[in-house]
Amino acid sequence: MQIYLPIAEVSVNVLVLLGLGGGVGFLSGLFGVGGGFLMTPLLIFIGISPAVAVATEANQVVAASVSGALAHWRRRNVDVRMGLVLLAGGFVGSSLGVWLFTALRGIGQIDFVISVAYVVFLGIIGALMVFESVRAWQRQRNPAAPRRKLHQHYWVHGLPLKMRFRASKLYISALLPFFIGLFVGVLAAIMGVGGGFVMVPAMIYLLGMPTAIVVGTSLFQIVFVTANVTLLQAINNQTVDIVLALFLLIGGVIGAQIGARFSSRLRGEQLRILLGLIVLAVCLRVAYGLVATPDDLFALGVPGGRE
Amino acid sequence: MTAARPTAALFALLLWAAPPAPALAADRLVVDLSSDEVAITTGFTGTELLLFGVKDGPGDVVVVLLGPNRDAVVRRRERVAGVWVNGESAVFRRVPAYYHVASTRPLEQIAPPEILAANRIAAGTLDLAANTRLPAAKRAPFRDGLIRNKTRQGLFGYHPGGVAVQGERLFRTTAVFPATVPTGPYRVNVYLFDRGKLLARQETTLIVRKHGLGASVFNFAHRQSILYGVVAIVVAVAAGWLAGVVFRS
Repeated sequence: MQIYLPIAEVSVNVLVLLGLGGGVGFLSGLFGVGGGFLMTPLLIFIGISPAVAVATEANQVVAASVSGALAHWRRRNVDVRMGLVLLAGGFVGSSLGVWLFTALRGIGQIDFVISVAYVVFLGIIGALMVFESVRAWQRQRNPAAPRRKLHQHYWVHGLPLKMRFRASKLYISALLPFFIGLFVGVLAAIMGVGGGFVMVPAMIYLLGMPTAIVVGTSLFQIVFVTANVTLLQAINNQTVDIVLALFLLIGGVIGAQIGARFSSRLRGEQLRILLGLIVLAVCLRVAYGLVATPDDLFALGVPGGRE
Repeated sequence: MTAARPTAALFALLLWAAPPAPALAADRLVVDLSSDEVAITTGFTGTELLLFGVKDGPGDVVVVLLGPNRDAVVRRRERVAGVWVNGESAVFRRVPAYYHVASTRPLEQIAPPEILAANRIAAGTLDLAANTRLPAAKRAPFRDGLIRNKTRQGLFGYHPGGVAVQGERLFRTTAVFPATVPTGPYRVNVYLFDRGKLLARQETTLIVRKHGLGASVFNFAHRQSILYGVVAIVVAVAAGWLAGVVFRS
């Protein structure tokens, strides 16, 4: 059954959309990740224009993060103060990101920038996941191996504007979380992701936050940052496709529930290696699109970024 | 515009309706479309329209379908440090978004080039010199790139022999509209040539428009984009919250 997507202006099979939503939802339920960084490239692979894929995925991430954020809120796993500082940076970053997105679209370079951003970040994250998991796996077999120290002190802890974050048991400069939020906000706008895959490691390794409240705080700010991206993309580029987002959502919600049930049956480290390999595979596929010689050296663009 | 399925009943009806003794040039050619509207509905995957008509005697028929004029940007992909990026670009102003030509025989056998050019009939090689400020030397590759891309998308096409004639008088052709067909008013120009001379010309129109839910969503997104963004967020939050409630119990 084909459906004509009103904003993307293409016909896509409904089952493909439900399958994509379900598949990525399953993985996100299984691994506890957002899934935006897998969904956006997959949408581009099935023929949705990168501009629509990124903006629509931001809208879908809002929905995907809300229930998780609420669950963590009820369990008091959110450092609200930290979340608000990250969010302040996130608003600035995502607004900057959408502005950059619109400008790049106007000069015809947005597809290229999206692809490069994906190759770089998927490559780094995928490689780190596989590497870390293999090491952790070996450590389980050989407990004598040296352990990594949590909560180290870097030069960044000497920055001004120190703030006390009670829930995180931290007394650090507010500039650090602000700039982390800003950076992830730019990524969210350009890549159509929540940015949890950058935010969570940054909170653990750079800020030194306790792991228990990291995911809740990250989800809390992702909801607002992706909502800001959705609104700004809708206003500047008219590229948010509600119909597409809804179909992905239906598949995603069901897939995530099944994935969450499966995750308790599998071992953590092997699971992380598997996710790392999936991320690397998508990275390679996007990279191939950049280096492969196109069938036609001439392509049509969008006049002036708008119609 | 490939040859259509036989529609004998339609043709019989048409014969009946055809005017008896054509005297004026316009009466030498009568055309109609199976529908004057292409509706892009929620399940739209492209469509076909039948164009049929009657002419008063021998001669060649050329059918030109012209979509609304739009600006087109053509970009050349260039290899920089091993990766392909968009390099030089060219803008063509007011190019038909859809351009199909179908004829009973190859155009060069129907009329001399200057007569064809005067009527903006081109065998898939629209001369777009007037539409761009690009110097002549650079124009050709970009124009060819534009036409090649449009042809691949099914938006441009040249179909010699695409107009089928029956018994010297009846003719028909099929217009194919892909799923990505641009919306707006379309012109259908039908020409009757005999021995290189233009005998008659008929024009009719059709409209391609979005219908139903898809049209409402598109108009909403473009006309009230702030409100649309807010609605998109509210829908997402509600859906996410609902999913959490349903699966928690």
